[in-house]
Order: sequence, then structure tokens, then C-alpha cells
Amino acid sequence: MPRNKVAWRRFVFVALIIAALAVLTVSFRETESGPVHAVQQGTAGLLAPLQSWGARVAKPFQDGYDWVATLWSAHKDAERLATQVQVLQGELVKLQEQGQENQRLKSLLGFQDKGTFPAGTDFLVARVTGKSPTRWQAWIQIDKGTDDGLRVDQAVVGATPLAGESLAGKGLVGKVIEVTAHAAKVLLITDSESSVAAKIQGSRAEGIVEGSVSGRLSMDYVDRDISVDPKLVIVTSGFGGVYPADIPIGIVANVGEEDVNIYKEIEVQPFLDFRVLEEVMVLLVPESSGITGPAATIRATGTTSTTSTTGTTGTSTTTSTTGTTGTSTTTSTTG
Amino acid sequence: MGRKQLIAAGKVVLLLVFAVILQTVLLSHVRVLGVTADLFLILTVVVAVSRGSLEGAVFGFFAGLVADIAYYQPLGVRALIYVLAGYFVGMFVARFGTVSPWSVALLAGVTSFLAQFVFGVFQFMMGPRAALLTMIGTQMLPEAVIDGLITAPLYVFLVRVRLLPAGHLETARSRGGDE
Repeated sequence: MPRNKVAWRRFVFVALIIAALAVLTVSFRETESGPVHAVQQGTAGLLAPLQSWGARVAKPFQDGYDWVATLWSAHKDAERLATQVQVLQGELVKLQEQGQENQRLKSLLGFQDKGTFPAGTDFLVARVTGKSPTRWQAWIQIDKGTDDGLRVDQAVVGATPLAGESLAGKGLVGKVIEVTAHAAKVLLITDSESSVAAKIQGSRAEGIVEGSVSGRLSMDYVDRDISVDPKLVIVTSGFGGVYPADIPIGIVANVGEEDVNIYKEIEVQPFLDFRVLEEVMVLLVPESSGITGPAATIRATGTTSTTSTTGTTGTSTTTSTTGTTGTSTTTSTTG
Repeated sequence: MGRKQLIAAGKVVLLLVFAVILQTVLLSHVRVLGVTADLFLILTVVVAVSRGSLEGAVFGFFAGLVADIAYYQPLGVRALIYVLAGYFVGMFVARFGTVSPWSVALLAGVTSFLAQFVFGVFQFMMGPRAALLTMIGTQMLPEAVIDGLITAPLYVFLVRVRLLPAGHLETARSRGGDE
């Protein structure tokens, strides 16, 4: 190879490195409305319909792979679930009685459900068209954008209710962090950069639900002297100004304490399986209204979820869900 | 630029368009072992093996830019990593390589692992603080394996349909030179 060719190759290599570094620097330094971001968003907007179409094409293949993959663990899961069903059936009877008692008490107190979400909140169902390619980040891309009324920092909840699972598919998904005309990027609550102000129903403990790169959710900043039992439901507290109050996040899976840590270490089992998100709902909260409230009513795609709290005879929380299949499950805790 | 070079450049551009469509439309929605194959990196390796370090670096730069756009990354991150990948894979093959599909697969797997490691260091500096072993087990190794496995048949296919020349040409050319 002639000497000038070697020199030319090295020159191009160095030039490309400098160009990449320059683009990277500009990308970090400029504002969201800068030219590099504009080009990126414009091109991403062009790719969005392609990705939306691809998501539909790829779905059968992905479902096929998932079906084969789940066969390995199906037997073990079946045994575990059979045991769980027996336990839950016992609890169900108990909880139905408590639910009826709750209804009676409500009528006695003249209690009326108020919407969890501020008055005028609308729900926009969006299809998931893309997901983060690595585990370093946890985000999804949806097929709705500014043209549909989306803006940054809007809360996103699940929209894929599954029969027989109380709140599965209806929990908090995350928040919108980037929007183009026809697409948006939603940061999942499992992302390591995500933190959600939350409270534990039953114990009334408040803290922050944080994600991690491993995909696990944990609740931090809960004082050690507060009693927290497993299986309690964790909901958003409404603090922080992004997420309305009382959106279900998950349940307490495990509670740990360390001598060196002044807070409890709470592992959270989310209501959503973030690996199989297909549709989500964006909360279109009116800018003029506040975003806190004590009780919840979600209405979209024929699904209603109600969370209410009464405290006359200790703390009793009842969460009931009625989906299109007519399934109704009640979870209750008494502290 | 001669007619032959123009055709070669056209083929590489065609390859990039093919990568964009396949990655964004299909591969990004399919997860195996919990990870998604990175066709942009795979093709950067294949181009570097077939055409040499210069073409590998140039292809890597543009593939990286497209990947950054498609994945909503800060523009330039992957471009930088893929330039390095394309250049050094080309240099490696020129210096040491006799190229068989399996050696290309191995090279792609190792390159994928190293590229992800660099990407991980970048992510670590930017925010997510992950345990290294966790990320190696859940992200880097599975993707390196998937990328490697996809590379072998893809490389053979692209050579067969004459979109790319076989890699040994680069080796012979370089050995005769003064690099």
C-alpha cells in the first residue's frame, strides 16, 4: 500500500473522530431547540411511522419466541400459581366481605369517590413502537406526539389489563421526556434515572420509588421506624408535580434493613410487566388544574379502576378493578 | 472517482439503507436473551473486514449517526464508537487475519463486547451506575453472542450476492504494502 494511502486513511480516521466528538459536544451543549436536535428530531419523526409499522410486523415473531421461551418455565410456574390461587381464593372470600362492609360504611358516611386525576383529565391510548436497545436505559417510544396533545412530563399509565390479575397492566409506566410531532419517548419508572414520589397504602409511609439498570424497582427514604409489611400496595403520592396521586405502582415484595442505612430497603414488584408493553395511556392533565387527589377513577378502553381509603376502623384500603372480561378482584390491607 | 469505486460506494450506501430499515423496522422489536441485535455494528464489522479500515470507519461513522437518531441518543456517541470499531477491525484483519465466516463471527462478538463496554463507560459517566458484572451478564455477553451469531450467515450472504468482496482481498493487499 503506498505511503500516501496510509496517510490518507489515518487522516480520514482522525477527521471522523474529530467530527464525532464535535457532533457529540454540540449535541450536549445546545438546547433542545438547537439545530442538531432539530435534525435528530426531524429524522426520528420520519422513522417513526416505519417503526410503528415494524412493531406490528415483528409482533408475531416476538410472540412466537416468547411462547417458546416461556415453555421452559411453564411447569414450575403452573405449580406455583396453583398454590397461589388456593391462597388467594381464601383471601378473596374474606376481602369480598370487607368490600361489602366498606360499601356500607361509605354509604353511611355519604362518601363519594372523587377522581384521582384532576378534573378534565383525558386519556390518550398510544401504541408502543420502540424500546430502548440496551439495559442501560429503560424507555419506550409511542406513536403519539405533539400533534395529539402530548407534552413533556405527562404521566403515562398501562393500558393492557389482564384477566384475573387485580391491577396488572394498569400501573404507572413513566413519564414523557421527549416529544416530536408524531412520536414521543417515555422514560419508564424502571430506568435508573427515574424517581417517583410514592406512598405505601396501609402503613402510609412515604418515599421515593427508584429504578435501576437491572430493571428492579425499589422504594427508598422510608424511615426504619415505620412498619411496612409485604404485599402492601404502593401508589404515587402526588408530590413532585409530575404524577397525579394514587396511581398504583406495585406491591411491596420484600422489606430489608441494614445497620448502616437509616432507611428501609424496600423491593417493589410492579403491576406492569415492562417487557411486554404494547399499549399505554397518556394522562392529558389540564395545565390549569392541580394534580393531587385522594381517590382514583381511570376510565379508558372499558376499564375502570377505583382506589379508595377509609380510616374509621384502622386503615383499610380497597382496590377493585373491573375489566372488559368482567373480572373483579379486591385487595385489602388492615394496619 | 472511477466507475468501480462509485459502484462500491453505492453498494455500501445500499447496505446502510438496508441496515436502517431492518434494524428500525424489525430487529429493534425482537429480543433474544433479553437483548436486541445491533445490525449497525454488525455491518460496520462486516464492511471493515471486507473493504478495509478506511471504509469500515466511514461506514461506522454514518451508521453510528443513524443509530443515535433511531435510538434517541445524544448524537455522536455511537458514531464515535463505531468509527473506532470499523477502523480497528479493518486494521486487525489487515495485519493478522485470514477471513472465514467463523472468524468474522468471533471478531464481531469481541467487537460488540468491547463497543458495549465503551458505551457502558460513557453511560456510567452520564448517570446510570450499574454493577459491572451485572451488565456483563445481562447485556454485554448476550448481545456479543447474538451479534456474533448473526454476523456469520450475514457475511456469507453479502459476499455471495456480491454486495461485499470477500475479506481475504484486504489481507493480500495489505501484506503486499508497507503498512
